[in-house]
Amino acid sequence: MKAYQPKRHYRWHPGFVVWVLHRLSGLGLAGYLILHIWVLSHLMRGEAEFKRVMDTFESPLIRLMEIGLLGLVLFHGLNGIRIVLMDYGPMANKESYVKYLAVTFIAIVVLFLIGGAAMLQTLLIN
Amino acid sequence: MGKVTFTILRFDPEKDKKPHYQDYEVEIRRPGMMVLDGLNQIRWEQDGTLAYRRSCREGVCGSDALNINGVNRLGCITHLEDLKTPVVIQPLPSMPLIKDLIVDLNDFQDKFFLCKPFLIPKKPLPDLEQLQSPEDRRKLDGLYECILCASCSSSCPSYWADPEYLGPSALLNIWRFVVDSRDVGADERLQLLNDRHGVWRCHTILNCIEACPKGLNPTQAIGGLKKALVSAKF
Repeated sequence: MKAYQPKRHYRWHPGFVVWVLHRLSGLGLAGYLILHIWVLSHLMRGEAEFKRVMDTFESPLIRLMEIGLLGLVLFHGLNGIRIVLMDYGPMANKESYVKYLAVTFIAIVVLFLIGGAAMLQTLLIN
Repeated sequence: MGKVTFTILRFDPEKDKKPHYQDYEVEIRRPGMMVLDGLNQIRWEQDGTLAYRRSCREGVCGSDALNINGVNRLGCITHLEDLKTPVVIQPLPSMPLIKDLIVDLNDFQDKFFLCKPFLIPKKPLPDLEQLQSPEDRRKLDGLYECILCASCSSSCPSYWADPEYLGPSALLNIWRFVVDSRDVGADERLQLLNDRHGVWRCHTILNCIEACPKGLNPTQAIGGLKKALVSAKF
């Protein structure tokens, strides 16, 4: 009789951590998409109904979460480009993949700071 | 010269219901001792019931791939001095256990043979040897060295999740023949791969390049296969 091992796990290294984060951010974006379509579906029931739903999404907390959404989109998008380049370019390399990962992360953080600051500014003015 | 503690996963299918860990003390008797030397010391002097695979003891046969301190390595070329203690030794992750550190590699090997790991030559065969230019020969570097130890495939989360996924090792070996200028079987090999259990199950997690004890790059080989499939389509 063969047994199955109690746990399947492997050492956490940067490539693995980013893969897990990519999956999680993908789930987050899929959740957002469903919410987005649900909100838009109220358009079919007339303007008043749509306005009523939209008003609940105008709260500062939701607006703050939108900045988080920007972060998810930036991470998933830019890291996705990195993955495509890794598939079709010479970037899948034990010595250098962490470097490309660092460049991707710097790009994500810079764009997030610029976009997030602008979003925060509009939030504070209104 | 001191002692090192080995924590080894034990499982005897005739006695145990599930695996457990057992500690052993290994004496460091000379500099440069490998993990395999420690396992041999345990088996030969302390506990003859410990089961593990070994053969060439110099990193060529691929028999003693083990999960050592959470990383897949070959026991015979891993220096004890480089490891944190206690040294935790487990069988390759995700593979069904047969006994102690021995795992069932049938599925892994079936997948290797599925990829037709032999040269499919041009017909009619030449009278003498098939020549290859030095440039074409160089394309095989980093591919032909695979020793089929299963370190890469057993480290791959896609391989754990999908029992039908061929895995990094089989895919590297397919790429080895697809890029070979003497081989004409590229099309029939690529046909095997163009579905969700083929190359597209690779999510570039990079565990395989971290794991390979020969320093090969299965992710890049799979990337080559993906490119070949895409360019065949367009």
